[in-house]
Amino acid sequence: MTTITKAPAPQPLQADKLCKNYGKQPVLQDLDLTFEPGRIYGLIGRNGAGKTTLLGILSGQNYATGGRALYGGQPVWENSAVLGNLHFAREMSAASELAGLSVKNFLRAGRLFCPYWDQNYADELIKKFELPNKMINRLSRGQMSMVSITAALASRAPVTLLDEPTAGLDVVARERFYRILLDEYQRTGRTFVISTHIIEEAASVFEKVVILDEGKEVADQNTEDLVEQFRYISGPAAELDAALAERGITPLQTQVLGGHKMVAVRGEEALFEELAARDGLTVEGMNLQNVFVALCGHGDEEG
Amino acid sequence: MKGTLNDQSLIYRQIAQLLEDGILRGEYPADTQVPSTNELARAFNINPATAAKGINRLVDEGLLYKRRGIGMFVAPGAAEALRQKRRENFAKTQVKAFVREAKRLGLTQQELYSLVKAQAQEEQLP
Repeated sequence: MTTITKAPAPQPLQADKLCKNYGKQPVLQDLDLTFEPGRIYGLIGRNGAGKTTLLGILSGQNYATGGRALYGGQPVWENSAVLGNLHFAREMSAASELAGLSVKNFLRAGRLFCPYWDQNYADELIKKFELPNKMINRLSRGQMSMVSITAALASRAPVTLLDEPTAGLDVVARERFYRILLDEYQRTGRTFVISTHIIEEAASVFEKVVILDEGKEVADQNTEDLVEQFRYISGPAAELDAALAERGITPLQTQVLGGHKMVAVRGEEALFEELAARDGLTVEGMNLQNVFVALCGHGDEEG
Repeated sequence: MKGTLNDQSLIYRQIAQLLEDGILRGEYPADTQVPSTNELARAFNINPATAAKGINRLVDEGLLYKRRGIGMFVAPGAAEALRQKRRENFAKTQVKAFVREAKRLGLTQQELYSLVKAQAQEEQLP
């Protein structure tokens, strides 16, 4: 019989003027972020935007070139007093030395590394994900993702960071993962930070999103408040251009099809209502994925 | 409750709309309890904070009220207030869009009226 140590409530996790260079290449530039306790965050960005590096530094598994990661106000780096509160789940490699273990043995080892490890929960998740008890390096990519998800959830760490947890999962497994995540979140109020580039199906799970673009933060906000600031405006090119010029609006993204033009615009409700009232112009809402492309596509969506 | 969510409009608005539809259809009469934040979050796989935002929108509009420790209930007169609100919205947005489309199609006022009249008769509007 093992006893479970009840995990403490999560504390804020912060990036304080965080910089990271690989050689001369800057990967993270002067990041100031606060992950508030007890929320689910989405961390989104293009490939190479610095998501994995950020999660690694926040969890003390990678060091910063400048600035600090703080948990509850204390530095994370080599600080054993706080590291037990943080769990970082990343994609497993079949080449790692742990990959020679069976799924069950690997997950039994969790209690050696995680102070709040819940073995019963791990066993329950193995069943929910229908994981076979094979050696980890014999598993499919999706099954390996499920093993790291299981370890992350069963860690019961107050703050749990997951790097692309759904990357190898099929659509059924992805839905199951988000359902299990929401159940666990409602039960415990742990903080979760989840990076993904399968954005749209995760958008409704994220209370807040942080968007990184080339190592810089371009958004850090309540998901729906952010999405609400964006619209597609479309109509005859001449009328649309005139309406934008009158108000001094620079579109984030432009698409031209013959005499018809569509632009992505960031603004306020009053502006959108004004534009919608103009004859010939259509104003349409965006989803999080559209917003992401508008912010990080650098205006280059094909014309 | 019926319905599924789509990704083309904000989730909290869709939650508010779903509850409104339920109230209008009489699924939730006055002083009955509506689903909780957690039930909505679980049913639609959404963040409970977002579900709460949808519910709070209806609370702010006086359509729902809170019984501490129990849950959210439909306010008396909510269905009538909603009908009024939807009517105003109908005139402002749907009729406008409808007439604009008629204009693009080159319909005259007379033609538009007779189309509306025929449909209204088919639907047996009083």
